[in-house]
Amino acid sequence: MSLKDEMLCSKTHEYVVKQGSEYIIGLTDYAIDQLGDIVFLELPEVGTEFAKDETFANIESVKAASEIYMPVGGKVTAVNEELVDAPEKLNDDCYENGWLIKIEASDFENESTDLLNYENYKKEVE
Amino acid sequence: MVKETYLHDKHVALGAKMVDFAGWHMPVQYSSIIEEHKTVRENLGLFDVSHMGEVFVSGKDATVFLNKVVPQDITKLAYEKAVYCQLTNKNGGLVDDLIIYKIGIESYLVICNASRIDEDLNWLVRNKRGLDVKIDNQSHNYSLLAVQGPKAIDLMRKMGYNIDGQKSFTIKPAVISGVKLLASRTGYTGEDGFELMVENEHSEYLWDKILEDGKEFGIKPIGLGARDTLRLEAALHLYGNDLDETTTPIEAGLSWSVPKDKQADYNGKEVITEQLQNGVSRKLIGLVMKDKNIPRHEYEIYFNGEKAGHVTSGGVSPSTGKNIALAYVKNIPEICTGATIQVMIREKLHDAEVVKRPFVVKRNRV
Repeated sequence: MSLKDEMLCSKTHEYVVKQGSEYIIGLTDYAIDQLGDIVFLELPEVGTEFAKDETFANIESVKAASEIYMPVGGKVTAVNEELVDAPEKLNDDCYENGWLIKIEASDFENESTDLLNYENYKKEVE
Repeated sequence: MVKETYLHDKHVALGAKMVDFAGWHMPVQYSSIIEEHKTVRENLGLFDVSHMGEVFVSGKDATVFLNKVVPQDITKLAYEKAVYCQLTNKNGGLVDDLIIYKIGIESYLVICNASRIDEDLNWLVRNKRGLDVKIDNQSHNYSLLAVQGPKAIDLMRKMGYNIDGQKSFTIKPAVISGVKLLASRTGYTGEDGFELMVENEHSEYLWDKILEDGKEFGIKPIGLGARDTLRLEAALHLYGNDLDETTTPIEAGLSWSVPKDKQADYNGKEVITEQLQNGVSRKLIGLVMKDKNIPRHEYEIYFNGEKAGHVTSGGVSPSTGKNIALAYVKNIPEICTGATIQVMIREKLHDAEVVKRPFVVKRNRV
């Protein structure tokens, strides 16, 4: 099973996938491709809690600045510091090494009902 | 209706990301803006800028007429020379910024911004009353291809164009690879280069031929994304961002393009002359961020805890790895080169240093 088979995506291009007792959140390859060269990334501090759809990070490409939203609510347990120093790495890989944060989800089951699997997400956005 | 240039299908075939810009469906990038930017700085890039306006101005009073609508002294413009200037309104504000070429006796070519063609034409027509002038908008008949970068000279030579004697800011009729065109040694990147004005029907052939002949010089097609980062590093103004109907050439740091000794009257001369003598209340500055945050259009500028202006163009500078901006600020002596100001980014103030423009110095001026 690859990450793409397991993850759920929001219409605002975030993905969420279960890893052990935590969930990993990142941006889809489609989103990264639309943004182009990534040049800036700001991630939250570990321990911060966010509700579903709340802005938790900021990303900028050469072209524009965008906000990144929580696909489900939860408490941040880890952030990908390496990406903050080298956000351009997201252009090569936004999944295996390109995740943004890990969270303890507050109510995954109820909050994930509007999320789409990757295949349906791609159909929706393209 | 969104317009397409004659090269539209070429861009799509090359895999460009297309966007709407000033009413045109244009390529914003082919591969990566940063990569394309560096290609132009190091080697050679090809741009389709056919969306820009080409207006011919001719007739017995053409010189008198143009001299009336821009602060530059058109009576001093020599044959086959080009001059950067602005179309001013009665208040000294800018209807557009332009390049005017003298292409014959009482015959000129005016290149203007795509977003401003209609306003420019209206303004020109309103100002021609009583004068013997023909204003002929030929924008729909011509394509404009720009080859920019340190190897532009090599490409032009290879394509059989004798560039000897064609200095920066000059234009000449030329035949390149069998295509009749006007070759101007100008651009909007801070690099040496040429802008080739060609009849639409020959544009696809010329585009392909340039990409083919340019291969050995590392040529790549370049989108509007890199065009913007290149011009920003060179601190070249973008109409709509850095210039508009409320900004004067003096405020915009364009005093160098306003002769102090011009005798003839022109729109806004009173205001502009007054500003030259007594100074302006705001000025355009360059700034470099001291952290990783990126200044962007319309972000607020603070100085000593007070709002002091706003960013008009900002972004990353791929050549320096820094984040840079042009901004209008209060014209006070404390805000000078080397001073620290702040940019409000996501509700926090971030330090920036005021620097001299341009951010990247052109290396290949001839």
